[in-house]
Amino acid sequence: MSLAHRMAVESPHIQATCVEATEFLDLSRRYHVSGVPKTIVNDTIEIMGALPEDAFVREVLGRPDSDISPPPA
Amino acid sequence: MSLLSESDRQAVRTQLAGISRPVTLLFFTQTFGEPETARLTKQIVDEVASLNEKVTVEEVSFVLDKERAAQYGIDHIPAIVVLRDGEDTRMRFLGAPAGYEFMSLIEAVTVAGAADSGLSDASRALIREHVTEPTNIQVFVTPT
Repeated sequence: MSLAHRMAVESPHIQATCVEATEFLDLSRRYHVSGVPKTIVNDTIEIMGALPEDAFVREVLGRPDSDISPPPA
Repeated sequence: MSLLSESDRQAVRTQLAGISRPVTLLFFTQTFGEPETARLTKQIVDEVASLNEKVTVEEVSFVLDKERAAQYGIDHIPAIVVLRDGEDTRMRFLGAPAGYEFMSLIEAVTVAGAADSGLSDASRALIREHVTEPTNIQVFVTPT
């Protein structure tokens, strides 16, 4: 959870909410939560599971592949 | 009655010792017909506040204070909004931060009170460059 919260502290444009899935079944259903952690960004981007910081930030920004060097030939 | 053992209370005290700014946990609830987990959430925030003098709890009625609920975009309870120096950090919790998520609450208080996200320079640069529109992140978790 902490990465999303840290992003909120970093930018005035970002709000991050930790949602207890079992307490809010309406929200869990709306976002098809079948496993946790599951992250939803602006109702459009879905991130399954926990990721390292760099990967998580890129996924939230919708830029999963930016600036990643190509694999060695 | 304490939810934490004395050794856990001491560990949390140590973790919170680094905070330099006042942190308020705005706790949205209702008095009648509150969800079962609202009472647990109140116990949790009160216990955290008891462990560091810079941390306070302010209870807000979700029913009577609709203005503040709207101000912070709260549409479910129990909910916690983390403030630093009275200002919104945009960190929220929906539901009781119990079990594993208790540590997320302690981290959120620590990050708020330290006034530093702790993210890497690379992450900060990416966020600065690419986040120019309102971005709403919801992370679904379970207590265990």
